[in-house]
Parts: sequence; C-alpha cells; structure tokens
Amino acid sequence: MPSLSRRRFLIALGWGVAGITAVAGGAAWALMPTLPPRNAPTPADASAWLSLRPDGFFELYSSRAEMGQGISMGLRQVAADELGIGVDRVRLVQPDTSLIPVARSTVGSDAMRETGVLVARAAAALAGAVLREAARRLGRPVAKLQLAPDGIASRGETILTFEELGTDAPLLVTAEDVETATPGLLAGLDGRREVGRAYPTYDIDAIVTGSRPLYADDIRLQGMVFGAIVRPQTLGGRILGIDVSACRSVPGFLGLYRDGDFAGLVASRRGALAQAMGVLVIEEEEGPDIDSAALAGMVDIVGQSGGLEHSVLDTGGASAGPFDVDLTLTVPLAAHASIEPRTAVARFDENGGLEVWTGTQDPFFVRDSLADAFGIGRDEVVVHGMRMGGGFGARTIVAAEMDAARLARLCGRPVKVQWSRSDEFRAGFHRPPSSHQIRLSADAAGRLTSWHHAFRSGHIIFTSAAMGPGLQFGTSFVADPGVARGSVPPYATQATQVGFEDVRLPVKTGPWRGLGAAANHWAVETAIDALARAKGIDPLDMRLKSIKREHSRLSAVLTAAAEMAGWRSRPEDSPDQGWGLACGIYKDMSYAAAVARVTRSDAGYRVTGLWCAHDCGLVINPDQVRAQVEGNLVWGMGMALKEELFVDGGRILPESFFDYPLPVLSDVPDIEIRLIEGSHEPTGAGETAIVCGTAAVTNAVAAMTGRTVTALPVKQA
Amino acid sequence: MRITLNRQTAELPDELVEEPLLFVLRDHFGLNGPRFGCGVGSCGACTVVVDGQAQRSCVYPTSAADRREVLTLEGLAQRGRLHPVQQAWIEESVPQCGYCQNGQIMAAFALLAARPDAGPAEIEAVMDGVLCRCGTHARIRKAIARAQSRMAGDA
Repeated sequence: MPSLSRRRFLIALGWGVAGITAVAGGAAWALMPTLPPRNAPTPADASAWLSLRPDGFFELYSSRAEMGQGISMGLRQVAADELGIGVDRVRLVQPDTSLIPVARSTVGSDAMRETGVLVARAAAALAGAVLREAARRLGRPVAKLQLAPDGIASRGETILTFEELGTDAPLLVTAEDVETATPGLLAGLDGRREVGRAYPTYDIDAIVTGSRPLYADDIRLQGMVFGAIVRPQTLGGRILGIDVSACRSVPGFLGLYRDGDFAGLVASRRGALAQAMGVLVIEEEEGPDIDSAALAGMVDIVGQSGGLEHSVLDTGGASAGPFDVDLTLTVPLAAHASIEPRTAVARFDENGGLEVWTGTQDPFFVRDSLADAFGIGRDEVVVHGMRMGGGFGARTIVAAEMDAARLARLCGRPVKVQWSRSDEFRAGFHRPPSSHQIRLSADAAGRLTSWHHAFRSGHIIFTSAAMGPGLQFGTSFVADPGVARGSVPPYATQATQVGFEDVRLPVKTGPWRGLGAAANHWAVETAIDALARAKGIDPLDMRLKSIKREHSRLSAVLTAAAEMAGWRSRPEDSPDQGWGLACGIYKDMSYAAAVARVTRSDAGYRVTGLWCAHDCGLVINPDQVRAQVEGNLVWGMGMALKEELFVDGGRILPESFFDYPLPVLSDVPDIEIRLIEGSHEPTGAGETAIVCGTAAVTNAVAAMTGRTVTALPVKQA
Repeated sequence: MRITLNRQTAELPDELVEEPLLFVLRDHFGLNGPRFGCGVGSCGACTVVVDGQAQRSCVYPTSAADRREVLTLEGLAQRGRLHPVQQAWIEESVPQCGYCQNGQIMAAFALLAARPDAGPAEIEAVMDGVLCRCGTHARIRKAIARAQSRMAGDA
C-alpha cells in the first residue's frame, strides 16, 4: 500500500497548491521539449507530392492523414481534374515521413483548405511537364498535344500512353512550376469532372473485404512480438512494485522490461499477453481521491471571484444586470472512444534506425519525438502513416508509438503495442469538463443589448497529455486557444464580454472534435434559445434578426435548414415532442445549422428527425462532406443525450464500452442534409456541424419541457 | 484441432487452442477483417460467423470453434463476386474510418442470412450492439434495406 499519505502525495504532484511550482517548471524547461511542426505547406512541399510513375499511374503522396474524413479521395479528385484523368489513375500514398517534406498535423478541418489548392497547383504543373515531355519525345509542338484519360492525345486520338511516357525516371515538377501553375480548381465549373462528384471513402474495397492491410494492426513483421504497458490505474498514481512471478507460467510470456518509470510486458501471442497482464500484481501509490463532482468543482465558473484570466472579446459597456437570461451550463468529461485503440508497430534496425507504423494525425511529431527520445537523428526514424480507425483529435500526440519503440529497444525485437480499451479510457486524454455562465439581455424588440459569457475549462491545446511540467508552467499564463474556440457569438449585441479561465486538471484533457467550439457553441446556442423563449420570439426569428450582417452565409444555412425541416409549419411543441434548432460558424470558415425533432417515450428522449444545411465552400466530394455532417450530428446527439466519462475514487471508471454508451443505430434517425457552396474555395467539414448538433437536440428538449437544458448529457426523464 | 475457415479446412497448433479466436484469425491466419476494439465483447468490431451465428471473436475461445465453420469478412465474397451486403455497403457509401465496418457487415450478414425479411425493430436490436463512432448509422440502415431487396431479387 502507498507509503505517502494522500495529502503529501497531492502536494508532491503540485495539485494541492495553486498551479504548478516554478521549480518544476524551471528544471524541465532546460530539456527543450519536442514540438510539433507548425509551418503551413508551401509550393516547394507540393512539388514533392505528385509524380507520374513508370507504371503510368500518377502517385500522390498525401501530407494529411486519413481518419475517415475523406481527404484521400478528395485530393485524388482535385489532382485528377487538373490532369484531365479519372481518379482511378491517381494512386494515393498515406503520409510517410520518408517520402514527403515535413508536414504539420491533420487537425482543425484544415486538410482540404490547406493542401487542396496546392495539390491542384502541383497537378496543373505536372500536366504541363507531362505535355512538354511528350512533345520532346514525339518531336511535336506542345500546342498540338492534349491530355487524355489514358495518355497524350493529338486530334482526339491517344498517341502516347502514360505507361509509355512514364517508363523512364518518375516525372516530377519543381517548386517554381508549382508556384507559377494556374489550376482550374478555383476558376469555376468548366472542365470539372471529378471535383464535385460523389465518391465513397478511399480504400472502401478493402474495408468491406479485408483484402489488404489498412490500419496499424494489419502490419505483421518477421519476429514481431506483442507488448503492453504497465500503467497506474489511478489518476496521478505511481507504480511502486511489479510482481511478474505469476506471468512466468503463461506460455508465450517473454518478460517484463523496465526503464525508469516505464514498464511493459512482452509476449509472443496476444492471448498470452492479455493473460499475463491479468495475473500481474502491481503495487500502486494511488493518486488523489478525485471524482466527477470534484472535477466539476475545479471548472466551476460561478465560484470564481474577480476578473477572468483571459478575455476573448470585450466591447466595453458591460451591464451589471439584471439579465433576461442568466444561465450556468455544465459540460462533463468525455472520451474520444474511437473504435480502433491506439496501435503502433516499431522496429529498430541493426544500425540503430527506427521504423514505426501507426495511425497518427501527426507523423512528423511522432518522428521527431521518437528521434529525440532515443537520441538519434530525425532522418534515422521513419514513420509510416496508416489509416486511422477514428481520429477525432485523439491521435495528435505520441502514445502507442513511444510505447512500442521503447519496448522494441528494450527487448530487441519488433514490437506491436495495441492499447487495451481500458488503456484508451485511463491512459488517454479526454474532452475537458467546462462550465459556462452566460447572461443575455435584449430590448423590447428582441435586439440583443448585452452578451456576457464567462467559462472555465480544462486545457485543450496545452494538453498535459503531451506537455511536461515545464511547458505546462510556461503556458499557464497564456490563453489556451483551443478552450477559446467558438466562444465569440455570431450575433450583433450592443455590449459583448467573452472571457475564460483555463485550469490544469488532475485528469488529462486535450483536443476532442471541434475543441472548445463543441462546448462553447452549445452554450451560445442554448442561451440565444432561452432568450427567445424569455422574449416570446420564435427561435428562428430571434437568430435571423440577431446574426451580424457580415455572416450572411450563416443566415443562409439557417434559413435552409428551417425550410427543409418545415420549421414554420411545425406542430406545436408538447411534452411528448419538441423541435429545436441551432447554428454556428466553425473557425470563421464553415457554416452549419440544424433542426432536431425530439420525441419522448418510456425509453427516454429520442431524436426522430434531423435536418442540416451546411456550407464549407466549394465541395470536392459531396458524399464525404455529407458523411462528415452526419458524423458531427451523431456526435452532437451523443453529447446531448449520452456521453459522460465518469471518475470515481481517483480513477476513470469505464474499462469498456459497456460503461461508456455511444449513440447506436436505434438512436439515429434518417438525416437530411443540404450542401450550400457559399464560396469558390474549399474550407473544412470535419468538425463544422458539431457547432449545431448538440444544441439543436437540447433546445428541442427545452421546447418540450419549457426548461432550458443546463447540464450535459440530458438526464433521461 | 481443425476448423473450416472461409470454406477451407485449416489445422491449428495445440498451443493456440486457448487463444481468443480473434487473435488466431488475425495473427496466425493473417486475416485483416475481424478487428480488435475492446477485447471484452462490448463493441462488435471483431464479429465473425461461426456455424451461422454471429460471434464476438475477441471473447470466443478458439477451442469452441473446433470442427465448426468459421466465416470472416474475407469469406463473404465468392467467385470474385461481393456478397449483396458488401455491395450495398459500397453503394450506400457506408464507411468513414472503416474500422468497425467488419462488425457491421458481419452482423448484418448473419442477421439477413437467418432472417432475410427482418423488420426495423429486429434490425435495430441486432445492430445496436455493434458500435460505430464515426456516425455511419443512418447509412447502415439504408445499406441493410438495400441488401434485403437485392437478396430478395436474387432469390
């Protein structure tokens, strides 16, 4: 049993006192932490992404990871149109640190916005290079040649196939070619064939047949063994002793490997590994006795006295009240719950080089972190990005990759580490809990006069899951931009104050789909709805009259969603059925509005109708944008009605999905979606509809009960 | 011991008989279809069909499959033709990340093989047990309906 008292232990970790001590911070700063790459992609980067290969296929090295958001197919469509070919002739390679220049992470719904136009430029440049090379080989002027789906054509007839053209070295372009290229992507509809067409996700053939490796768990290396990490089961707990004597009788158990605080078991079979983990005896010094209520208390905004640490927007003229609406809203801890657990395979070669296969949102951060951890050069580490079985922000840091590499180094064999579901809940990081005090007033005509939103949340971007004490200390005075995301209302108000506190919690919190926008939009859209009820104004009219003039695209999606749902002619709300709507802007780039119809039965609240209008600018692949909208709406339903990650006795409670309910088939109605292209450039769809799904559902519940939903998830009545 | 795996006889070494069937399928036979999601039967990503019954292979002891017919995602297509459920999954563009879809397809396949005209409540009762985090549910419902009509048409 622990030798330290709980109280002493609390202080030792710095949780018993306010913040983290400067001593701990100062010491760790000297170590220079590895930071994720931040630079935006350039034409020089793009020149390395696309080439014509000897087999006559165009190969596109993606710099953004596929996690089901559809970027792989989207980029193929973009490239294909510039080259005048079909998508089938564009072979996509998932991000691989040995193939592409350093690229930043796949986050923030930015993959298409940041790389789509560059891929178009690279493809346009390559189209020019292909024509020039063909002209040289054929001895004809470039002007007489055109690109055809299967090669180079003259007067409508293919005279040189891509196979023939590609037989020598791969045909590449330069940074200058990319910079000066004029892609057709943004020029308008003419000539578009692949862009705008609906395609299923790339690799769907292998997904429905199992015919080839896609995910990290599909990698099987010669001599590979399986590893699992011995972890404390309590938050802030510490392993004092490990007894593997019972493991030794498990056939296939290969040993316990330790290095400082790191400890892992290795076995030749996964069943043996699970069995050994089951009979392992650990002595743990337990962390502080925290539960969900204590966490909620740590983020309680109402108990805060004095000014807020960070201001997002302050127009001056703050009202001292009273307010028409004065709400305190709470959002609990929640999990990513990707069905694929974090998984990585690591292999050291005889020269000390390291190769890793993993589904990650940030392969270069993984590479650099591993290189720094093992004291080897960054060019001695190769990270092969695999398809992710769900990302949602969870794969933005280094986790199973480091586990697998450390075990591979210690045991001298290639190692696969696949986190258990319990690891996912207990060793992963989560959406932080937050609380929101939101106070609104309007004049007699329903014009907003005062908007005051103060909130308190665990960290998101400055996640303790990836940052040591030094970085945590260094960022403790800086506003966490992830917490702030989406907190500025799109509504015109005479006086607006938005501010927040970010607090270091004893549970690891970090990026979760939409970051702060998920919670903040729920708060904003709950409040504006409550104001509409208080003023006796229809929630649609309340919003339409309040949306700032510069956000006409928001008004457009809101109007469209209301029309699709028949909002104006909806039946009157009753205790058994209610209608709710919500809208929002994601990262100043994409717009969404949703209407939900919720009915009440013995089993509880059920969403029986869901409509959404969505504007992410130019739509490359309408099918995959729709899929993202559907996904976000289902996440919103989960957030509204189901999800809370409970903590009790200093530990995260769930060990499996039995204890963490997700939306299931019977929870999800048919979903009607309309895509509006409010701009000629593509923006992002991966997180956009998270801004409206949750509040549309809870506002429908409020319409049924007459009471604003103030705590997520809704208690099933 | 011996099993029939995707219509072929397969021998298993003795040391594997106590391994969960999922790990034997993935690590011994090298199959990609059945996937690990939770290890305790709470998500369904590992679903395979044993003697016509959908089973969670992560908690199904390999010894229990002795002399039984095990069908995995890899065994659904025959003579180069996808099964109507797989076909429907492509036509409705169901997968997002794709990781859970083995379980969705195998559970739907087993259901429709036993109850071709299963109604909405029956479909929900089965499919609610197979989790999807991406939110493909509405498409799963459509794909099952499409597979049902295709299978009825073929019959």
